[in-house]
Amino acid sequence: MSQSLRPYLTAVRFSLEAALTLSNFSSQEVERHNRPEVEVPNTNAELLLQPMHISRNEHEQVLIEPSVNSIRVSLKVKQADEIEQILVHMFTRFLEQRAESFYILRRVPIEGYSISFLITNKHTESMKTDKLIDFIIEFMEDVDKEISEIKLFLNARARFTAEAYLGEFVY
Amino acid sequence: MLHLKPNNLLIQKTFSEALEANANGAPLSLDRIISDFDYTTFHVSNSPDDKSVLWLSIKTKAWQSVTQCDQGKNGLLPFLASKYQSAKGISIPQSFENGYDYTLQADLKTIDQDTINQLSLLKIFVMNYPFQLAFNEFVELSNMPVLEEPTGSSTSSSKNLYTIEYRDEENIFIRPSNDRITVIFETVFQDETDKVLGKVFLQEFVDARKRNRDIQSAPQVLFSHEPPLELQSHLRKAANNTDLSRRFITFVLFPRHFQTPELQFSTVCQLTLFRNYFHYHIKCSKAYMHSRMRYRVGSFIKVLNRAKVDEDESETAGAEGTKEPVQRRTFTGRKMVY
Repeated sequence: MSQSLRPYLTAVRFSLEAALTLSNFSSQEVERHNRPEVEVPNTNAELLLQPMHISRNEHEQVLIEPSVNSIRVSLKVKQADEIEQILVHMFTRFLEQRAESFYILRRVPIEGYSISFLITNKHTESMKTDKLIDFIIEFMEDVDKEISEIKLFLNARARFTAEAYLGEFVY
Repeated sequence: MLHLKPNNLLIQKTFSEALEANANGAPLSLDRIISDFDYTTFHVSNSPDDKSVLWLSIKTKAWQSVTQCDQGKNGLLPFLASKYQSAKGISIPQSFENGYDYTLQADLKTIDQDTINQLSLLKIFVMNYPFQLAFNEFVELSNMPVLEEPTGSSTSSSKNLYTIEYRDEENIFIRPSNDRITVIFETVFQDETDKVLGKVFLQEFVDARKRNRDIQSAPQVLFSHEPPLELQSHLRKAANNTDLSRRFITFVLFPRHFQTPELQFSTVCQLTLFRNYFHYHIKCSKAYMHSRMRYRVGSFIKVLNRAKVDEDESETAGAEGTKEPVQRRTFTGRKMVY
């Protein structure tokens, strides 16, 4: 793990720990509604807390938007070149299509980020908070690893097929 | 399955079946349409009057341009006929099947496995014709005395450019000169993802020869977005056709690649399958990535499920004590909602 990744992940971990203090909160505006306040247009300033923005560099950032009963975590995954762009796009789309088995995954990332999670008080009540944080941290580590592995694989395969094809011309 | 085979497996299979059924005394009635790469269709059917005679017809997008390669000498039909004259049991009917470009007639009583192999190579033979013209012209050019030019270059290239329009917007150009034959593929990527993956693959084709000493004698491969110099005069007519996804791949064949007829044939087989080969491998890598991501999703779900509060734990706790299930409460004392 590189030198700057460790403090970055630590910062994300502590920020998430601080943000994940959610309580059940019924809507103040609509009767019998209980909705994630971070997701609805909100005029009540007391329900939304200060967003936290952690940035390792311009390609890798995390935005945590807390509110009284839900937080939204958005990740920006490193995309160095157009192959990585495509791979990240493929991978996040792949995950989002399976969002129902991920519980906390948001189907559409918010503008400017690769993937978003929405954690509500329902999730923190049925899941252990520290394990949830572990999951997000592990996710961040693994996505980078996976993308670079796929990229390496792609190059290796291209090289192998090209050599095999040209090898047919050697007599 | 690393390499694609030049012959059409379905034709081979169909004819082998028909041959076997005929030998058993029960000839099959066939009316089968077989597809191949590059908008090629084959039609296998019984001759109307004799069940033991089969017709194999081909329709291919390249036909039109291949017949025009020799400037109206109509050499393609004799060329194909010469390929099949040595094959047992093959005859060429006077008129071709309606809607198809070429027809061969196979007599099941006399054909054997070799003939079936020849039949399954029909498409390659059609594509072979412009290459054959280029090989012939190469011999002419290399025998001509080289005119000393003031620039000092000693190459003389042919004025002819053989074009095979084998797909809608994709062509193969062949230009012979006195020491080499240049084969240029023009290709267009429909899909954005394919375009990027294609770039990776094509770059490796260019680099493979430099890196690996074992394949030093393979043809040189060049790859560009701009039409190569060989094509510029030709493509000026279609200059407005500046599609950004257009790519040009150039293979430079040296005499060692086409010294004997066998080498010529295997070179042509490889080259005509080039596009199919590398598109096939792009699709394969996509499929691999897909299965890999599927596996990843599974492992992420496992990690996430570790976070879940164990249901069994609370149930057993409830079973041990009182019969009532344990009520889980939040900090604020509210009942939990699952």
